[in-house]
Amino acid sequence: MTPVEWAVLAFVLGAALATALLRDVLASIIAFAAYSLGIAVVWLLLRAPDVGLTEAAVGAGVTTVLFLLTIAKTVRPAGDDLFIDVDLTAVGVSGLLVAALATTLSALPPVGSSSTPVATSRVSNYYLENAYTETGVENAVTAVLAAYRGFDTLGEAVVVFAALIGLLVVLDRGVLA
Amino acid sequence: MSSSSTADGDDEFSVANGPDRPYVESPIIMATVRIVAPFVFTLGAFVMFHGADSAGGGFQGGVIVGTAILMIAIAFGVGPTRDWLSASMLTVLVVFGVALFMGIGLAAVASGGAFLEYTAIPVAHSSKYGIELVEVGIGIIVSVTVVGLFFALAAGHSNEDDEEVAE
Repeated sequence: MTPVEWAVLAFVLGAALATALLRDVLASIIAFAAYSLGIAVVWLLLRAPDVGLTEAAVGAGVTTVLFLLTIAKTVRPAGDDLFIDVDLTAVGVSGLLVAALATTLSALPPVGSSSTPVATSRVSNYYLENAYTETGVENAVTAVLAAYRGFDTLGEAVVVFAALIGLLVVLDRGVLA
Repeated sequence: MSSSSTADGDDEFSVANGPDRPYVESPIIMATVRIVAPFVFTLGAFVMFHGADSAGGGFQGGVIVGTAILMIAIAFGVGPTRDWLSASMLTVLVVFGVALFMGIGLAAVASGGAFLEYTAIPVAHSSKYGIELVEVGIGIIVSVTVVGLFFALAAGHSNEDDEEVAE
């Protein structure tokens, strides 16, 4: 790991801890936005710019604004404490969960390894070799998304549309804006 | 919404118009947004249109375009922005996005291919253009959904006074 990667990981971890521990909800939301931005950089370092773009736009941008909108309708708790009182039972349960998940880490292949199932699979090689000649787009991710799995993506787009309709139903409103 | 809200028309729709959090016109935020928003909008459109050839696509670009609108709403107030983008325009746009995606799929069927089989459409480079149009459709759906979620959350649960607003 390079120093940049260590720095980004430390930043993400610190932002995550701040999100969990800060008492003021507004401060917590700001820390969460910083966390999302850090995760977006992590995606970039893992050579997944498409996912990183989504994380930066949705995680750091839109989610933060929606959270801010929600807490604008609430009141701040009284008191001047900077951090919440930590619930030791919850910390124990979270620690156990992290430890259980961490046991699977050793089974993962190294980042960028050429022997991962993804890199050696027949399907991904087919996409990488034929995506441009068959679909005419240079971004293989887009080719898979919109051409090879276009019907799937139509479903995703309609799910996004349905989320909007669902919120209107929940809020009992008839119009979009 | 809490029972304390005195829902008189516009006030309930502004995020910060509660009694304890007045909406403050900040010249710094307004000037910044005025300068930054066009660039954010352009970046979103670029990510949306150029998604076929570089990182990005309809989902990412749509969210970035939506973020530009959210920025404007935060700087200039939710109410005025909501009036600027009319509800009917947003509704028409989001339905147009879904119709565009499905229409391209059906155009392939009409040309004798399978659903979404772009190469069946008798146009030069039909696959590339079909994919790009699909990405634009996705972008429209996503950006309008982001903006719609924002306005709907800002407006909160409906009550008796809704008829006045939902004209």
